[in-house]
Amino acid sequence: MIHVSHLVKTIQGQMILDDISFDVARAEILVVLGESGAGKSVLLKHLIGLLKPDKGVIEIEGRDITKLSEEELLRQRQQMGYLFQEGALYDFMNVFDNLAFPLREHTSFDSRMIAIKVEEILKMVGLEAAKHKYPSELSGGMRKRVGLARAMIMDAKILLCDEPTSGLDPIRSRDISDLIRQVSRRYQCATVITSHDIDNAFRIADRIAIIQQGKIVIIGTPQALKSSENHFVQEFIS
Amino acid sequence: MKQITNRFFLVVSQMGDAIYFLMDVLRNIFKGRVRFNEVLKQSYEQGWQSAVIVALTSFASGAVLALQGHVVLSRLGAKEYIAQLVALSLLREMSPVFTAIIFSAKAGARITAELGTMSVNDQILATRTMGVDPMEFLVVPRFLACFLVLPILTLISEIVGILGGYFIGVYQANIPGVFYINQTINAVRFVDFFSGFIKVFFFAILIGWICCSRGFTTKGGSLGVGKYTTEAVAQSIILVIIFNTILTKIILTFWG
Ligand SMILES: Nc1ncnc2c1ncn2[C@@H]1O[C@H](COP(=O)(O)OP(=O)(O)O)[C@@H](O)[C@H]1O
Ligand SMILES: [Mg+2]
Repeated sequence: MIHVSHLVKTIQGQMILDDISFDVARAEILVVLGESGAGKSVLLKHLIGLLKPDKGVIEIEGRDITKLSEEELLRQRQQMGYLFQEGALYDFMNVFDNLAFPLREHTSFDSRMIAIKVEEILKMVGLEAAKHKYPSELSGGMRKRVGLARAMIMDAKILLCDEPTSGLDPIRSRDISDLIRQVSRRYQCATVITSHDIDNAFRIADRIAIIQQGKIVIIGTPQALKSSENHFVQEFIS
Repeated sequence: MKQITNRFFLVVSQMGDAIYFLMDVLRNIFKGRVRFNEVLKQSYEQGWQSAVIVALTSFASGAVLALQGHVVLSRLGAKEYIAQLVALSLLREMSPVFTAIIFSAKAGARITAELGTMSVNDQILATRTMGVDPMEFLVVPRFLACFLVLPILTLISEIVGILGGYFIGVYQANIPGVFYINQTINAVRFVDFFSGFIKVFFFAILIGWICCSRGFTTKGGSLGVGKYTTEAVAQSIILVIIFNTILTKIILTFWG
């Protein structure tokens, strides 16, 4: 579903992504682990075409998105969901309208159909009661849940989450991680999650990639990483 | 010297970005990507926010013109010309410029602060990830609303300003009301109204352009929102005043 090969990106003369390659299959969760400033957000923004690489290929369902114009990208992104660190909900709309927004933009559903869809997805993230609230009235964890719901409302085949656990306490971190895994399984989407939260990464990942200074140090299943001999990996995950 | 050249290149590149931004806005408009509901919503918000304060300041300006006119014209024994002085000053210069300045400070600040907040909270990026062009959804409606609202506010300013002058003319200078109104109507030629009013459209483009582009490119968290907003308002006001002089010169060359 996602195929990345030899991705290179420099920003202002600084090498941010250095020859990144990996694949993510349908219904697979890849967690990209790395310290702050390692290049995780930059990588994720490339996957949805918000940034263009200097070199390399990014194929989404066999289509190289680095060659698409912004207009083609806008269409491509309807099939993709992106969860921002703080949720990035429109603060001038309530939760219902935030979730209805992509449906109103891209489908011809009538208002009854939209209401059904929104109710359904709110139930999935456990926030039926917050339907009429505005983002400023929600806690950080709730905003991320709504953000996740919005990312999935168009039944995305690709789900990208940028640091979903940052800024949350351990219990909420665990809840949102489990929720992402549950959603990802239910929709069978290829999922990439960036994080520096090692415990939750090992809880929910099918595979983990550790990234340092724009390079992938190691990529493999959680078990493989645990038994790795690599010095940096052991230091990082212990 | 190096600092000066660096600064120069920074200003040039910012102007380049701003011009590119304006092209992008116009491209969307000419391609018909205009959301009329959003335009109306924005117009309503911008309009109501500024209408009362425009009316108040215009009434005061009309009144003060009449007060001064009463004193100065009485010296010349020509106090019945107060109505002309008030109406022509307002229509030709004061209403368009004052309204644009107040609009910059109210609606312009609001535009930059709103778009800036959306920018630093990733809402603009999120719009793109949802497959919607933020230019079309967030910027074009605000830009067009300026174009719609500023002329209406200017009309309000002109009418209320003349009322303010009437108030002083009738109750302070003891000019009969009917005579005052007749003087006003006789004094104003279409060219007086038109030569002032045409400027408003330039101001609307200027304010919409600066405030939208600064908001859209805001960086640096809540501090950034404050910085970009004050900068946008200051730039709008300065440019309105400078452009007014240039436009006045051009307009008077044709319709002096
Ligand atoms: N727009 C930008 N301009 C300049 N440098 C940037 C920009 N975005 C990211 N960087 C740099 O790229 C590196 C990686 O950033 P990022 O991907 O945000 O890290 P993280 O892994 O914490 O998400 C950092 O050194 C950051 O300073
Ligand atoms: Mg990041």
